[in-house]
Amino acid sequence: MKKKYTFGWDQGVAIFLLMTVVIGSFVSEYFANFDNISFVIQDIAEIAIIALAMTYLIIAGEIDLSVASILCLSSATLGFLFRNGAPFEMAILGGLLVGLLCGLINGFLVTVVGLPSLAVTIGTLALFRGLCYALLGNEPVNELPEEWIVLGYENIPGTFLPWSTIPLAILAAIAWIVLHYTRIGRWTFAIGINPEAAKFSGIPVARMKLGLFAVTGLMSGVAGVVYTLRFASASPDGAVGYELSVIAAVLFGGVAIAGGVGTLWGVLAAVLSLGAIRSVLQLIDFSANALLVVSGALLLISVVVPKAIEIYQSRRNSAFVTKI
Amino acid sequence: MKTAMTKLFRIRELPVFLALVIVVLITGTANPEFFTLSGFQDITLGVAVVATLAVAQTLVIVMKHIDLSVGSTIGFSAYLIGDASSQGHGFWYCMGLALALGLAVGAANGFMVAYLQLPSLVVTLGTLYIVRGIFNEVAGGNTITEDMVPGPINFIGLNTFFGIPYLFIVAVVLMLIVGFIMKRIRSARDLYAIGSNLLAAELGGIPVARRVFLAFLATGAVSGLAGAVLLARFNTAAANSGNGLELSVVAACVVGGVAIAGGVGTVYGAVIGAILLQAITMALGALGIPQFWQLAVNGTLLIAAISLDRYLSTRVKPTSIMGAK
Repeated sequence: MKKKYTFGWDQGVAIFLLMTVVIGSFVSEYFANFDNISFVIQDIAEIAIIALAMTYLIIAGEIDLSVASILCLSSATLGFLFRNGAPFEMAILGGLLVGLLCGLINGFLVTVVGLPSLAVTIGTLALFRGLCYALLGNEPVNELPEEWIVLGYENIPGTFLPWSTIPLAILAAIAWIVLHYTRIGRWTFAIGINPEAAKFSGIPVARMKLGLFAVTGLMSGVAGVVYTLRFASASPDGAVGYELSVIAAVLFGGVAIAGGVGTLWGVLAAVLSLGAIRSVLQLIDFSANALLVVSGALLLISVVVPKAIEIYQSRRNSAFVTKI
Repeated sequence: MKTAMTKLFRIRELPVFLALVIVVLITGTANPEFFTLSGFQDITLGVAVVATLAVAQTLVIVMKHIDLSVGSTIGFSAYLIGDASSQGHGFWYCMGLALALGLAVGAANGFMVAYLQLPSLVVTLGTLYIVRGIFNEVAGGNTITEDMVPGPINFIGLNTFFGIPYLFIVAVVLMLIVGFIMKRIRSARDLYAIGSNLLAAELGGIPVARRVFLAFLATGAVSGLAGAVLLARFNTAAANSGNGLELSVVAACVVGGVAIAGGVGTVYGAVIGAILLQAITMALGALGIPQFWQLAVNGTLLIAAISLDRYLSTRVKPTSIMGAK
């Protein structure tokens, strides 16, 4: 039997991305030039890196609202260590470790203590952000070594891609392969579809979830380092509200909030779409507020349209049944 | 006697109330200024906005839903009130505008959650963005200043009734009204049934969609009207007003025993939770702890509260992000 071709949400997002790029190139001659592409990639790098891990977490039926605070705490730790005389490499390592630790704390509270992740991560959102202020006070760390911060604003020599493309591309490739071609990926989907069934079929559900929270923390730490280099500064009030952008991107990319459904390239297409739309709106001198409205609208579309299709199909099917 | 004791220990609000008493006593002993009238007024005035929103949020959380759009709604409404007033419109016109905004946002949320059966977390996250975006566009760089605030709102923000700030009285009256309704009126009791077992509620003949819609509508309406409270509290409003308030509100509810898993909790608990968070904020100041630690302490307290609740109750393990099924 020939496999029936079904048109998925992620293909829709990819087409949406293409349309944005085509329309963007028409409305502004600056859209498709190399400087702007480099800028767009820099602009979305942190959100994209966190979204990779958040995809797993939402597919597994959990959520993490504390990612932006972890990003900032990792950045603050980096700044704090460097200000107190640690070599920059050690400071980066410290930032990454703090990210991992934060993720483990979330995972511990969800899997071992057994609390709902939504409530836990609202709590850790405040806790981790509070620790940023406790570490740095109101003084951002601005004197970072020049040879490192050039990585934040310069392109890879000979190309038009910013340095942050490298971690993003490597991590995206790993995330893609692991989610769609390995046992860990299949386990993630199984847990999201039915945690009870997953447990009885021998999947270590608690350990998997702990791992996913830890990886999300680590990815937020990586994003924290990228963020610090991009702004050449570690401050306690950075990246406020990023968690909502990350979740909006993941859901627009076709991952169901109820868990069990989603593809990684759908999410990547969604992140790029948001970056492209932001750039188009800026280039045609639209106010930054329009972006908020567009993000919100895309988020709603990503739940309303599949629901409308579902209702339409069930009506058609039931009409068919009554005719017989 | 024994039954009275067990009954007392069953009260969900008791632990958080005891925590509040302990915080107040410790702080008061360490710093006697905390016990003065101005210390009392600081707490009650500071808590008014979050307490008002927490009362509204309770309606939604007991149904196992959530409304994240309240921060955007209250900020926009505060701005609209000030803006309309500065153009010479009267007090009631301004309040009508605030109510209309709240009803519009509430109806949009309610329609999508109740009739399209979409997840409330996603829907209200979407409306949070959209309302904030429209608000920022309307407000631009403008700021509502004190002379633009309508007279009655200015009055309740600055004055006290026998030492109790009017704003706190507004929050308490709202709490008592909603508390009475949720205890005595059957359609409001239905919200608990929906939150504890959706399927059973449906089979039991509760018009679930209508109840969910009305609860979101009510939450929206209160958030809109609460714009007056926000404006009265700060005497100013600008494009960033109410930003991030939704998380403080959810935190107050959860600390006060309104479980995110739905079906339990009261508005009294939510308000006590809000007061506890505010008291701790003030206590840190009174004890000379740098205010930088404030946020971290609030977060820790929230986690401690839900851990304790989890330990005390014998509910099943959470299987979804909203908690137990």
